[in-house]
Amino acid sequence: MRTILKFGLTVALGLSLSGGALAQTKEIRVLLANHPYGDILKAEIPQFEKQSGIKVNVESLQESQLTTKLTTEFATNSSSVDVFMTRPLQDGKLFAKNKWYEPLAGYDFSDYPANTVSIVTYDGKPNIVPLVTEWQVLFYRKDLLAAAGIKVPTNFDELAAAAEKLNTGGVAGFASRGKGAAAVTQLSSYIYNFGGQYLDKGVAVFDSKEAVDGFRYYGKIVGSYGPRGVTSMSWENILPLFQAGRVAMWTDASVFYGQLTDPAKTSLGADKIGIANFPAGPKTNSPFYATSWGIAIASQSKKKDLAKTFLEWATSKELAAKAMGANITMARTSVWEDPAVVAKVDPGLVETRAFVAKNGYPTDRPFMSAVGEARDLIGEIVIESINTKGESPQIGDMAKDRVAKVNTLLRNTGEYGQ
Amino acid sequence: MLKVGYKILFYGAVVLLAAIVLMPFLWMLISSLKTQVDIVAWPPKFVFSPTFQNYYKVFGEQDFIRYFINSTVVAAFAVGVSLLLGLPAAYSIARFSQRRLALVILLARLMPGISFLMPWYIIFSRLGLMDTYVALVLSHVLITLPIVVWIMSSYFETIPIELEESAMVDGASRNYIFLRIILPLSGPGIITATTLAFIFSWNNFLFSQVLSMERTRTLPIAVFNFLSYADIDWGGVMAASVAIMAPALVLTMIFQRYVVSGLTMGAVKG
Repeated sequence: MRTILKFGLTVALGLSLSGGALAQTKEIRVLLANHPYGDILKAEIPQFEKQSGIKVNVESLQESQLTTKLTTEFATNSSSVDVFMTRPLQDGKLFAKNKWYEPLAGYDFSDYPANTVSIVTYDGKPNIVPLVTEWQVLFYRKDLLAAAGIKVPTNFDELAAAAEKLNTGGVAGFASRGKGAAAVTQLSSYIYNFGGQYLDKGVAVFDSKEAVDGFRYYGKIVGSYGPRGVTSMSWENILPLFQAGRVAMWTDASVFYGQLTDPAKTSLGADKIGIANFPAGPKTNSPFYATSWGIAIASQSKKKDLAKTFLEWATSKELAAKAMGANITMARTSVWEDPAVVAKVDPGLVETRAFVAKNGYPTDRPFMSAVGEARDLIGEIVIESINTKGESPQIGDMAKDRVAKVNTLLRNTGEYGQ
Repeated sequence: MLKVGYKILFYGAVVLLAAIVLMPFLWMLISSLKTQVDIVAWPPKFVFSPTFQNYYKVFGEQDFIRYFINSTVVAAFAVGVSLLLGLPAAYSIARFSQRRLALVILLARLMPGISFLMPWYIIFSRLGLMDTYVALVLSHVLITLPIVVWIMSSYFETIPIELEESAMVDGASRNYIFLRIILPLSGPGIITATTLAFIFSWNNFLFSQVLSMERTRTLPIAVFNFLSYADIDWGGVMAASVAIMAPALVLTMIFQRYVVSGLTMGAVKG
C-alpha cells in the first residue's frame, strides 16, 4: 500500500511541475467574455503581440462563468488575471466595493459620454473603460403593422391599442420578458417613463405611485397580449418566437437587432423587421441607455504596466470603428460622429441611439452590489402583475414590502442613502 | 384473444414511455443537424435538409478534440485514484463494520460542492497547480471516491465470509485474500462503480468551471462556448451535447448488464 501511495504522490508532483510552467517576464493573462467584441479582440491579439512583444494568455468565458471565476479568484486574493471584461451594471458595484478594479488614472475618458463614465466612477476615479452600450427599443413586424393599418406606436396608449389589435390566434400582439428577475431590466424603461425609478440616491423607491403604475401597465400588456407562458420567458425564449414570426412587437435591448436582420438567423426577411424608439410614457421618454460591457485592470495584477498597454490597445478607436462595422454598438462618441464608420452601421441603430444618447437613463436595473437579490425581489412583483394582467390589488403592498427588503440589502452593504 | 389485447397494451405502454424518455434526446439529435433558422422555425420542421455545419463548428472551429482529451484524462485518473483508494477502504468498511468511516466519506458527497471551491482555489493556486490536470483530478476524486466506496462496500458484504475463512485456514494473508479472492469475485461491482463514477466526473460542471482554464477546459464547460452575450448558437449547443453524450452513452450500453446486476447485488443481500 505504501508503495502505491508513494507512486501516486510522485506522479502528482511530476504532473504539477510540468503543468505550472513559469511565467515569462512579458506575459499577461486576459479574461474575455463570449461576446462579439471579445471575438474581435481575440482575432486581433496576435497583431498586438507582434507589435508590443507582450504575450497574451487569453481565455473567454460565458458571462455568468466569467463572473463566478473572477469572484473566486479575487476573493481568495490569489488571482493571476491582469485584464478582464466586466459588466459595469451587474458586477460593477460589488467589484468596486471590494477594490478589485484598479482605478484608471491617466486614461483619456474624453471620448466617452458623460453618463457612461459616471456609472464606472468610484471615489472620483473611473475604474472601467466602457466598451459596449445598449438601449431599449421597440422591434416590430413592418408587414403585420401595415396589414392591420397601424402606425408604429409612439406612446404607451398607442402601444397597448396596437398590441390588442395585432394579437391574433397564432401571433402574440406584444412580447417582453416575463421571467421575474430577467424582466427587471426591460421593465425599467416603463417605470422611468411613468416617472418612477428603482433607486433614488441609494434608497429603493419603486413603491411610488409612478413605479406601481409602471408595474401595472407592464403586467397588463405582457399578460394580456403576450405569448403563452410568458412569465417563464427571457430573451432566450422571446427571440426565437419573434424569429419564427409569432410575435408582432417586442421591447428589448438594441443588441438583438443584428440577429433579427441576419438572414442566417432570421428567415422572415430583414425588410419585414422594424426598429423604433421606445414609446413615450405619461411623464417622459427616457429609456435605458446602459453600458453593458467594459474592460478593466485587476488591482491584484502584478503587471499593471503591461496590462495598461493592453487596455489602451483593446479600447482603441481603431478597434471600436472595426466593431461598429459588425453592428456592435460601441460606447466611444467619436465613432458615432465619424460618417465613414456610421455608414457601415444599420441606420435603425444609428437613429435610435441618437435619441437615447440625448434622453437615455444610464442604468437598466437597481444599481447596487446585491443586484441579483434585488432583481429576484422585484421580479416577484413583475410575475404577480403579469399573472393578473396588472389588476392585482396586492401590487402596491408587494412593492412596499420589496422596497423594505431591498433597503435592507442596501443597508447590509453600507450603500443605503449613498 | 385476451392475451393479444394485453400484449398490445403492454407494447403500447412501452412505446409511449420510450417516446417520453427519448423525445428530448431525439429533439437534440435532430436540432444538431439543423440550421439556426430551421431550429427556431414554427411549426417545427421535421423535413429539412440536414447540415453538418454544427458538427464542423464543434470539431473544426472549436477545439473539442482537446476538451475531449481533457475530460477523458480527468475522469480516467479520478476514477483510477478512487479505485486505488476506494476498493481497500470499501473492503475494510465491509469486513470490519466501519460504518462511521463510511458516513464521513458520504458526508463529503453531501456537502454542497461550492463550499470546497474557495479553499481549493487558494491551495491549488499557491501550489501553482492551476490549469493542470492534478487540480482537476483531485477535485473530481471527491465526487468519484464516495461512489466507489459506497457501491463496493455493500458489494463486498454480499461475498460470503466463509470463502475468506477457508483461505485463512490455508494460510492466506488479508492482502492475499483481498487481491486474489475478493477482487476477482467483484467484477460486476467494480464495473458498476467505475461506470457511474466515470459518468459523474465526465458531467461535472462546478469544479471544472473554477479550477480549469483554457488548456484544461473540460467538455461541460466548453458547451458554453456556444452561448454568447445575447446570442445562443442552438445548433452548436446541440451538436456539442450529442458529442458529449455519445461516449457516456456507449459506455453505459456496453456495461449496462453489469451496472444493473451490480447495483441490485449490493442492495439485496441474502
